[in-house]
Amino acid sequence: MSIIGDILSTTRDEAPDESGASVTYLIRKANVSYGRLAKILETLVQQGLLEQTTSDRACKYRISSRGREFLQAYRGFREFADSFGLRI
Amino acid sequence: MAFAPDAVLETTLNLLGFVVGLALGIFSYIGFKNTGSPTLFRLNIAFFSIGIGFGVVGFGYMTELFILKYAQLDSWIQTLGIGIQTIGYFFIAFSHGIKSFFPKSRYFKSIIFPLFIIPGNSIEHIIRSISFILLVYGTIETIMSYMENRKRSTIFVAAGLGLLALGEFLGWYSVVFPKSILYFISISTKITGLGALFIPISQVPLRGGMKLGGSV
Repeated sequence: MSIIGDILSTTRDEAPDESGASVTYLIRKANVSYGRLAKILETLVQQGLLEQTTSDRACKYRISSRGREFLQAYRGFREFADSFGLRI
Repeated sequence: MAFAPDAVLETTLNLLGFVVGLALGIFSYIGFKNTGSPTLFRLNIAFFSIGIGFGVVGFGYMTELFILKYAQLDSWIQTLGIGIQTIGYFFIAFSHGIKSFFPKSRYFKSIIFPLFIIPGNSIEHIIRSISFILLVYGTIETIMSYMENRKRSTIFVAAGLGLLALGEFLGWYSVVFPKSILYFISISTKITGLGALFIPISQVPLRGGMKLGGSV
């Protein structure tokens, strides 16, 4: 769950340009293997939380409005779980 | 027919606990629906159980008082309600990793030992002692988390769980002084504890709503 939060936060707050963040950039930020990240990205795109864009022949990912809503909820409830000394 | 004021107060306090527990359960459920987090799912079960436990006692007593018009309230209702609450306390403790500690003999002793010192070994007191242990465990874990994250809301949660533990202890101890004010102090302490668990909720914006599939 925290990896998803990291990916969405990166695509929202730290994407290098407007077209989104590249897979290499996300691997570095989320600190996960390519195989695992690819599966997560595929799911996030299917769920409508990320949008896939193509820029300079490279595949990039941008957060969707649905993803922004999810990230906001995730952060709120992460605070709630943190208060119990738990991780969501 | 005039109702005993202590029975009415007891019923009211339990119904208040039902509302508070249910509200926390609903909030955790919204969190689970929004994020699909298993931790929030466990908290959702925990708070619903605690709320329903209070509700069983409150509505049970209300039925006996106002509908069946019993002079003496049945003790099995209390036992059933506390049993359901214990399930909730278990899930809070479980979320803190009770599973990994369970095989250790010291933990086993801490559960088994109180069973032999309970007066009369009645089911209600056995359940209360288990609740107490689970709540103390949850309190200690939450205090440890506070040491790490230094969040003010965490200390409120630790205080809330601690008050719930104290309430269970007083409830258990009230067997020594039956029909005394100790029992009402016990319920009031537990409800204050549940109230303290509300503090983190005040910091969460309740907007948006979607669930991420469990396939990630």
